[in-house]
Amino acid sequence: MSDLTSTNLSSYGTLLAENQRLKKINAALIERVEAGSAFNAAPYAAFEHSASLAEQVRERTEALSVAMGELRQTNQALKQANLSRTKFLAAVSHDLLQPLNAARLFTGALLEQPLQGELKHLSESIHRSLQDVDSLLGTLVDISRLDAGVINPDISIFPISDLLDNLAAEFTQICDMEQRHFRYQSSSRVVSTDLVLLARILRNFLTNAVRYTTPSSRIVLGCRRRPNSLEIQVLDSGIGIADDQLEHIFEEFRRIQPESGLHDRGLGLGLAIVDKIAGMLGHQVRVMSIKGKGSLFSVTIPLAEPQLNTFPALQTESSDQQLLQNSEVWVLDNDPAICIAMVSLLTSWGCKVKTFEKSARLSKELACYPQGPDLLIADYHLDEHESGIEAIQRLRGEYAFQSAVLMITANHTSSLRQRVRSLGYRMLNKPVKPLKLKVTIAHLLRQVT
Amino acid sequence: MTDTNRIPPVITAMSDASDPYVAASELAQALCHPELEGVIFFCSAEYDLEHLAAALNQSFANTCLVGCTTAGEITPRGYDRGTIVGLGFHRDSFTMEASLIADLDQFSLPEAQAQLDQLIRALRQRTTDSLAGRCFAMTLLDGLSSQEELVLVALDSALGSIPHFGGSAGDDIQLAGTHVFYQGAFHNEAAVLTLMHTVLDFEVFSTHHMQSLATKLVVTQADSDKRQVIELNAEPAAQVYARMLGIEPEELNPKVFALHPLAVKLGQEYYVRSIQKVNEDMSLTFYCAVGNGMVLTAMQPQPILPDLERRFAHIEARIGEPMITLGCDCFLRRLETEHLGSLDEASAFFREHRVIGFNTYGEHFDGVHINQTFTGVVIGKETVR
Repeated sequence: MSDLTSTNLSSYGTLLAENQRLKKINAALIERVEAGSAFNAAPYAAFEHSASLAEQVRERTEALSVAMGELRQTNQALKQANLSRTKFLAAVSHDLLQPLNAARLFTGALLEQPLQGELKHLSESIHRSLQDVDSLLGTLVDISRLDAGVINPDISIFPISDLLDNLAAEFTQICDMEQRHFRYQSSSRVVSTDLVLLARILRNFLTNAVRYTTPSSRIVLGCRRRPNSLEIQVLDSGIGIADDQLEHIFEEFRRIQPESGLHDRGLGLGLAIVDKIAGMLGHQVRVMSIKGKGSLFSVTIPLAEPQLNTFPALQTESSDQQLLQNSEVWVLDNDPAICIAMVSLLTSWGCKVKTFEKSARLSKELACYPQGPDLLIADYHLDEHESGIEAIQRLRGEYAFQSAVLMITANHTSSLRQRVRSLGYRMLNKPVKPLKLKVTIAHLLRQVT
Repeated sequence: MTDTNRIPPVITAMSDASDPYVAASELAQALCHPELEGVIFFCSAEYDLEHLAAALNQSFANTCLVGCTTAGEITPRGYDRGTIVGLGFHRDSFTMEASLIADLDQFSLPEAQAQLDQLIRALRQRTTDSLAGRCFAMTLLDGLSSQEELVLVALDSALGSIPHFGGSAGDDIQLAGTHVFYQGAFHNEAAVLTLMHTVLDFEVFSTHHMQSLATKLVVTQADSDKRQVIELNAEPAAQVYARMLGIEPEELNPKVFALHPLAVKLGQEYYVRSIQKVNEDMSLTFYCAVGNGMVLTAMQPQPILPDLERRFAHIEARIGEPMITLGCDCFLRRLETEHLGSLDEASAFFREHRVIGFNTYGEHFDGVHINQTFTGVVIGKETVR
């Protein structure tokens, strides 16, 4: 009995001590919890504070580096996708250019024929459809080449009228057809920029002006003098752009919702191209618009010193048709379809045409007529062994003919453009537009005469 | 005629001469060249420090020289003792500025900010290179000052995003006096803050080899000024700790502390809190701050070298073969390695990875005072991209 009591007593004592201990542990833990990790003067609190700070920094750095890694991967994938898209577009566009070139020349020739009624209507429809395909394809080529970064500006000094006169002539005709009133104010200023790229910007402005106006609207192409620069403006009295849409119009594949009755055949890439080109040339693009009233698009380009004017103004103003009439034009192209189309088209403009599929044939002809034609049109991609330029250079060495030379090419590099220009030749890109071909031929013939 | 272009960015040298003048001149002979930016050295506490300071001043003249006493050195030979080891930094790759924190117990955030600002200004004046991402800070601190936590928390705030590592000076477990060296003299109750700019790629890191066990001990009575834990679980601390290990309190010694560490868990991390000694009253003195209510977890050390190897492989995968690693290795790790008979293996590893450094009484990493870790900086051979 007494044993039991003493056991009870001793275990009671143990429990009491245990309880005492737990109370003390409890009190210590409460003290720590209540102190928190707040930074105060106690060294241990300082340790907890800096350790928890360091841990937070580590966690966030880790999260950040994971996020960065994911971003890098996404970015890589996007770059890859963009690259393959660019390559695909470039390949497709190039393969399409060749047959399209022939088709455009054929319809050009067809339209020169005296057609009646339904036939005339049909051929005009084909012509318009081809025109659309052409411009869409051109746009795709442009954007893919801009994205691929293969376009390098080729800055030259020229009177702005050289470019604007041609554009005005082109759009006067288009506006006539589309029933818009087109007005053009020329300028005698000499500018310093890439003529081809600037032309692409302005052509986009003008095409948009036609696209987003209704019949009998006014379109004006003009210039404003700015300090050391020239602002080329395209104004229209069209449908205008709402304020909230203005910031988006330079994005790719972005189109303003066309009003009913406006036909819209664009891809929404025009202004994206303008933006990219202007960025590349360092030219400022400006847009102002009032919904329902119209829009102003402009690009500001630097002026060149006037004495550097290397292009004397054109003297004669004889009409293009007069110049073309009875002119002697030879065509060197290894594609029989192109040769046939060229004959049809050029003949319809009154030219006397001879075509050659091989440079050897041309050489024989020159042996008989060493003075050569008024104009020689040559395909740059003649065959694997010799380019159009090389062939002509070789023949020039053999026969001292003075013909003007026009190169036709699908190669859009600025280095080729520079080479052609240094030789005193002109160049047109495929697909060749009949109107542009006619203007260019006239320009070349004017120089020869 | 020396071709200064061919001098490597970091030169390492050591001397095991016990005479301070011989040691200093041997070190200087190997390290000095016209393009020497500065020297970091670690010396055995066995040296007569007054004479060593005089000898170093004589041999290194105006060179920027910082260092501290150790609980063992890591020299080009590996784990070493009774030596002085130094790293000489080339001006082309490094810019070095240092300052002394003289009154550790008075050191505050404004002071930390002011000191760091001055170092950064000085660096800016001497290098045209960007400082962002190209600087690290090293602290060497009197290892018996008991001031690490408060000094480091102040420094940490001032350092911001500058990576930081360091070590507390040792004295071969004599626990008598540890010193840092700055501007020609050894100091105690002080720290040296070094800010280093380099064009070379580097990584500051810390690693340990511990795994947690189930046992938890609560500190129920502590003297935070003396870093003493008087009671664990409301019983005399040394008794509780010895009982947990199944040994008598009399058997407790640094080797036992090294093999059976205790750690605090904060968030997901375990921070080892190393025991320095057992006191007469059965309290335990620690190498780091302690406080009431702190919960200690018993830890089990894992093999040291595999952990280091993994860590180095990871870093070297990023920055390539290391030119040099400046390492602060806790002296308890060295004790453990010694006990396991793998000192030679560890030395071989250090030689292979070009580790130079010392055995500490505590390491510093991003403003936190930690124990029983290997902490330092790996400097690569390539310049930063």
